[in-house]
Amino acid sequence: MRTRRRTKQFVLAATVAAWALALTGCTAGVAEPSGSGDEVSLTFLVSETPNLTAQYWDDAIARASEKVPGVTIKKVVGENTPAYAQQLFASGQAPDIFATGIANGLAQKGMLAEYTRDEMEKAGVTDFTSGTINGKFYGVAVGAQAIPLVYYNKDLFTKAGISDAPKTYAELLDDCAKLKAAGITPFEIGGGGKDTWATNFALASAVAADVLTVDPGWFLKRAKGEVKFSDRVFVGAAKKVQDLTQNGYGDKAAMTRSYADLEQAFLGGKAAMYPMGSWFAAAADKAKLTNIGVFGWPSDAGKSAVPTVSGSGMNVNAKSKNVELAKKWSLAFATDKQNRDLGVITDGDIVTVKDYEIPGNVGAVYKETVKAYDAALAAGATVPAWANITGDGALPPGFSDLMTAANVDLLTGKKTPAQFAQYLDQKYAAAQK
Amino acid sequence: MQMQNKYRLAPRNPLHVLLFAVPGAVLYAVFVLWPLLLALWSSFTDEDAYRLTTSFVGFDNYGRLFTDPAYLQTLRNTVILALICIVVPNALGLGIAVLLDRAGWAFNVMRAVFFIPVILSSVVVAVIWQQMLKDDGLINASLRAFGVADPPGWLSDPSLALYSVGWITAWQAVGTCVVLYLAGLQSIPKELLEAASIDGAGPVRRFRAVTWPLLAPSVTIMTVLSMIGGFKIYDQVKVMTNGGPGVGTTSTLAFDVVRTGIDAGAVGYGAAKAAAMFFMIAAISLLAIRVMRRREVDL
Repeated sequence: MRTRRRTKQFVLAATVAAWALALTGCTAGVAEPSGSGDEVSLTFLVSETPNLTAQYWDDAIARASEKVPGVTIKKVVGENTPAYAQQLFASGQAPDIFATGIANGLAQKGMLAEYTRDEMEKAGVTDFTSGTINGKFYGVAVGAQAIPLVYYNKDLFTKAGISDAPKTYAELLDDCAKLKAAGITPFEIGGGGKDTWATNFALASAVAADVLTVDPGWFLKRAKGEVKFSDRVFVGAAKKVQDLTQNGYGDKAAMTRSYADLEQAFLGGKAAMYPMGSWFAAAADKAKLTNIGVFGWPSDAGKSAVPTVSGSGMNVNAKSKNVELAKKWSLAFATDKQNRDLGVITDGDIVTVKDYEIPGNVGAVYKETVKAYDAALAAGATVPAWANITGDGALPPGFSDLMTAANVDLLTGKKTPAQFAQYLDQKYAAAQK
Repeated sequence: MQMQNKYRLAPRNPLHVLLFAVPGAVLYAVFVLWPLLLALWSSFTDEDAYRLTTSFVGFDNYGRLFTDPAYLQTLRNTVILALICIVVPNALGLGIAVLLDRAGWAFNVMRAVFFIPVILSSVVVAVIWQQMLKDDGLINASLRAFGVADPPGWLSDPSLALYSVGWITAWQAVGTCVVLYLAGLQSIPKELLEAASIDGAGPVRRFRAVTWPLLAPSVTIMTVLSMIGGFKIYDQVKVMTNGGPGVGTTSTLAFDVVRTGIDAGAVGYGAAKAAAMFFMIAAISLLAIRVMRRREVDL
C-alpha cells in the first residue's frame, strides 16, 4: 500500500517537474522587455561578408550607439534578402532594424516603418530619388552603388595593344578580339553553386546600356505590362551577352567558381574585364592594385551605362516596440561620418550625405569608380540598377533566382536569346503578385 | 514476487501513463503536428508572403503541380537521386562491411575511417567536393596533368551535374551503411556459417544462402532510410549547383519547396509541394517496407 502511494507521489512529482520544465522552455523563447531600466535594447540584422566583416559592424554599431544614448544594439547576423526577412517576420523573429534593403514586398504589407522626408533631411540625407516604394521612404539613402561597372586590367589591355577603355560596343568587341588573339581571356563572367547570382552582371550591364540608356523607366513599364522581355531591344541585349561567351570571350572555368574565386581570378589576371558592382573597388584597393581601370558598359551609340542604386538600407520593423528610437538610431548609424568612411574603404560605397568628404586614404580604384559615377551623374547618364533596386520598378520577389538560372542557359547556349526572353516573360507574369 | 507485480502494475495505470505522456505529447503536438496541419491547410490556399489577402483554392495547387513541367523535371531529378542514394551506398556499404567483418586493430581503424564522412556536415562535404569538382578544380587539374585536354564539366555540364550531386550524397552515406551492415553481419550466428562450411559451401554460396537472407532486416531499414534521404536532398544541391546549371537541371523536391515557398514567397503552392513530397515519401516507404519484409527471415 505504502509502495503504491510512493509510486503515486513519484508520478505526480515527475509530472509537475516535467510541466515546469516544459513551461520554462516555453517562456525562454518569449521576447523580454527591451533593455533594463532606461536602457532600450534593439536588434539589428547585418550580413557579414569578406568586405563587411564582424569587426566592421561591431565598430560601426558602437559609434552610432554613442550618438543615441540609452540604446543597446544586439547584432544579429543573417542573410541580406527580402526572402530571409520574410521568414523572420513569419516566424516572429524579425529584428528591429535591417541593415540592407529588404523593403520591397514587405513595405507594401505594412511590415516596415516609414521615414518622413523631414527626418531624413535633418539627418543630412540628400538623395530622395532612390529606393522609394509607392513614393514613400522605407530606407535611408546615404550610399549609392553602381551595379555593375566594367573593371578592366590596364596591363592586359596594354599587352593586347589596347590603349583606352572602349567607348562603343563595337570597340568593346574589337578589344575582345585583340585580347583573345593575344592569348588573354577577355571576360571573367561566371559564378556557380550558391554564387550563381554572380553570372548576372554581364546581362545587367548589356540591358542597362541597350535598354535603360534609351528608356530609364523600362522596368516600371514592364511592371505595368507595357513592354515585354521578348521585345526586340531586350532580346538584342541578351544576344550580345550570349555572343560574348559563344565566341570564346568568357573564362571557361568561371561558371563553377564561387564569387570569391571569381574575384581572385580577375585580381590574379586570369581575364581582362570583370563586370561587377562598385564594391569591387574596395577589394581591388585592398589588394593594393594600381592597374585596374573602370568604365560603363557602352551601347552601340556610345552611351555608357552607369546603373545605380541607393537608399534601401536601415529598414525599421513597423512592429518594433521602439519604432521612433529605431529610426533615430538608424539615421545616426547611416549618416555617421566614420561609418560612411568605413563603408567607403571596406565596401566601396559612394556616399551622398550632405557635406560628406571622401577620406584621404582611399585607393586608386575607388577614386576611378567615383569619377565614373560623378561623370555619369553630371551628364544625367545614370540609369536604375534594374537587377538590384528594391523600390519602385524592382523585379518581383523570387524572379531573380529564376532569371539567374535561365541566364546560365543563355550563357551556355542552352537557350536562345528569344527563348530566354520568353521564359522571363512567363516567370515574370507568375511572380507578379 | 508480490512487490514485482506491484511495480509492474504501476505504469499500467492509465492515469500514470497519461501524466507521463502528456508533456511529450503536447510538445510534439505544438512543434510537429500543429505546424504540419498549418502547412497542410496552407496548401489549400493561395497564401503569399508578399500579398495581404489569402483565399481558399481547394485542390488547385495540387492540380497545378502535375501540369507544371518544372515540377515534373524536379520530380524526375529526385527519383534519379533517390535511386543513386539507394543503390550506391548500400552496394558499397555491404561490400565494405563484408571485407571489414574481421577482428583486429587495422579493421577497427578502417571502420572509423569509413564513418568519418557521416559525422561531417553535409554542407562542409558539399563545399569540399565543389572545390574538387569545379571546372578548374583538383580533379580536372589532375586529369589535365594526365593529358585530358578537355575534362568533363562535373558541375557545369547539365547532363553530368545531377550524377555528381548523387555521387557526393551517396559517398557520404556509405559510412552509415557500413556500420549497420557490420552490426547485421555480426549478429548472424557463427554456427550457421560453420554448418554451411561443413556442408561444403564456399564463401559465395555461404553469403547467398546464409548471410544475405539473414541480413534482410538490415537491407530493409537501410533501403528505406536511403530512399527517404534521397528524397530529402537539399544541402548538396544548394551548395554545389543551386539547382543548376541552368533551369532546374539539379533541382530536387526539397530544394523546390524552399525556392517556391520561401524565396518566391508563394507559401500556398510551396506548402502543396511539401505536402505532396510528404505523402510520396510515406507511400513509397510503406510500399518498400511491405515488399522487403516478405523476404526477411526470423531466426
